[in-house]
Amino acid sequence: MADESSMGSTSQAALLLKKQLAELNKNPVEGFSAGLIDDNDIFKWEVLIIGPADTLYEGGFFKCHLIFPKEYPLRPPKLKVITDIWHPNIDSKGDVCISILHEPGDDRWGYEKASERWLPVHTVETILVSVISMLADPNDESPANVDAAKEWRDNYPEFKKKVAKCVRKSQEDLL
Amino acid sequence: MSDPKPEGSAAPPSKEEENPKKEEEAPVHTIADDSDDEEAALGPAISVHVKTPQTTKTVSVKEKASVNQFRQLVAREFQEPVEKLCLIFGGKIMKDHETLATHAIANDRTVHLVIKSGASSQGSNNNTGANASSQQTPTNPSASPFGLGGMGGIPGMSNLGMGSANFMEMQQRMQREMMGNPEMMRQLLDSPLTQSLMSNPEIMRSLMQSNPQMQQLMERNPEITHMLSNPDILRQTMEIARNPAMLQELMRNQDRAMSNLESIPGGQSALQRMYRDIQEPMLNAAQDHLGSNPFQALSGNSRGPGASTTGENATPMPNPWGGNSGGGSSNQAGTNTSGSNNSGTGSGTTPDLTGGSLFASPGMRSLMQQMTENPQLMQNMMNAPYTRSLMDTLSQNPDMAANIMSSNPLFAGNPALQRLQTTAPEVYTSMGMPAIAPGLFLGGQQQPSTTTTATTASPTTTNTTSPSPSSAPASTGNASGSNPNVGGSPAAGEAFSQLMNQMVSNMANQGLNNPPEQRFQSQLDQLASMGFVDRQANIQALIATFGDVNAAIDRLLNSRQPGQPS
Repeated sequence: MADESSMGSTSQAALLLKKQLAELNKNPVEGFSAGLIDDNDIFKWEVLIIGPADTLYEGGFFKCHLIFPKEYPLRPPKLKVITDIWHPNIDSKGDVCISILHEPGDDRWGYEKASERWLPVHTVETILVSVISMLADPNDESPANVDAAKEWRDNYPEFKKKVAKCVRKSQEDLL
Repeated sequence: MSDPKPEGSAAPPSKEEENPKKEEEAPVHTIADDSDDEEAALGPAISVHVKTPQTTKTVSVKEKASVNQFRQLVAREFQEPVEKLCLIFGGKIMKDHETLATHAIANDRTVHLVIKSGASSQGSNNNTGANASSQQTPTNPSASPFGLGGMGGIPGMSNLGMGSANFMEMQQRMQREMMGNPEMMRQLLDSPLTQSLMSNPEIMRSLMQSNPQMQQLMERNPEITHMLSNPDILRQTMEIARNPAMLQELMRNQDRAMSNLESIPGGQSALQRMYRDIQEPMLNAAQDHLGSNPFQALSGNSRGPGASTTGENATPMPNPWGGNSGGGSSNQAGTNTSGSNNSGTGSGTTPDLTGGSLFASPGMRSLMQQMTENPQLMQNMMNAPYTRSLMDTLSQNPDMAANIMSSNPLFAGNPALQRLQTTAPEVYTSMGMPAIAPGLFLGGQQQPSTTTTATTASPTTTNTTSPSPSSAPASTGNASGSNPNVGGSPAAGEAFSQLMNQMVSNMANQGLNNPPEQRFQSQLDQLASMGFVDRQANIQALIATFGDVNAAIDRLLNSRQPGQPS
């Protein structure tokens, strides 16, 4: 991070992120816990999402990496779920598909309004709250994992079974 | 941080008992750790907030305390068992051997706490702590003999749609108890009391239904009820449970083989593919062949009650390998044992039959034994039409087999296999390929069944219907094969090894043993000419797609654009 301090915008991003991290350490938000992958790199966050109660994901611990661009908050971070998870809006590589993480501006395909996409007001907290609500309530209009979405609609028992499997696996992996 | 003498250290523990359930925001409770005096070295006390979805409490803990100590404090504060607590800070789960300093937890920080439900903590404990099993066997196995029979004995049950967490845990617990004390189990099952119980299906059933857990299970899953109300299945289950070695093998191997396969890169897709390409046609053949009720011989010629069960068990399950071999095996075991009981065809047939059920278990060792003891059986298997089609499919997809073989520790690390390798390397080669192995299993299961029906047929021929109205082509292949088997023709052994040789040379021709770079040389060149320059990625993709260039291209393209519009 040698060039970090030399760039004005970078240090602004770093400052903003440091502030958020300190705040989250002090007053954590329900449902997830956030820290840095490497204490020297404020742009790479490690987040543990606690499977929300009363959903299929209850009891699971889902590790995510949240990688911020130097242009934050003008551009959105990338969120990747490291733990295997079976969900209609998370693809097999763990990339999460939620509209607020999409680059700002109008949608090429025209089904997302600019207001639903990335806005500089979003913070780690608002992003993760969105993700957690997505866990509880998948959005089947934009499936990232088509198989999971199909199963969720057509074969819910099987979907449930697969989710239960990843929840179990997430516990084994982390505990 | 602040004062070395914590303000709360004088507070007697009784003080916090007064309002343990207080649910207001951040009720500050400080606890005095009894052992505080000798732990002055742990530094000043800090206040750490512990947050659950419902409430937040504050715990006073020494700055340099270990996570384990901290957890004890939290457990006391929340009045929950220590092992149910999961503490999370900074995106990481706090582990017992770490310290608060590891996580840079300072004064006034907030830690997440998840209190696990009883059941799931059990499950995860089982899986993570290998030695936990020895300490955690307080329950006398005799307390739940029927449970054991019901759960442990039918590994295939988990594939009948019973994969729910509850069921798995139950099974795990059962398994653990069993493993801990197989001798006791055997004694128990061999005792005359249990025997007589077993022979009375009504008692067995009421026994099972009296267990609330089982009841719940049955309510949720009508298939189970169905299975449990079939006396044959119950009995056969008990038979399996009586042979601890076999049960152990059944359970261990099935799980391990599956997880091993799944963890290979592309293993999941390989499994799916294998299932599509091989298992299904094979099963269909098997179904044709085993179309009759395997319990017929047992239940005295009627083809009524058990028939539907057979249908269920033979249906392809979502779990590609384990399910079929598991389900099949339990079925088969039933047929075998019952066959020998009922027909009373002396000890002559018994080794064959036991062999069959051993064969049915995924255990490599038993397979090996069977192979060395009974080469004729193998030959019959090889002659069977479904095995042929399996071989054909396999020879079209040699890479798949090699891939699995080379990366599967199950096969590499089996001493019995190694022993065999020295004596008969070609057998090993074929064994090492799970794609064939299930074929062997299935073949093995069917083979003895033909023998069984053949031998039992004569005593029961009073019933004019043939006990196995199997499809003509499948049965002729086998029946002709099993004749020399009964006669014990020595020539069969030769023919068998010939076949094996042929098979091996076939595979060698396919360049099975070459490294992927050589095997996929032409495909690699093709990819390179298309502009896929990352050779390593190309090889990976080709391995994963078994050399299919088109599929490999798809794969490469997909991995290049992770952010597909979604």
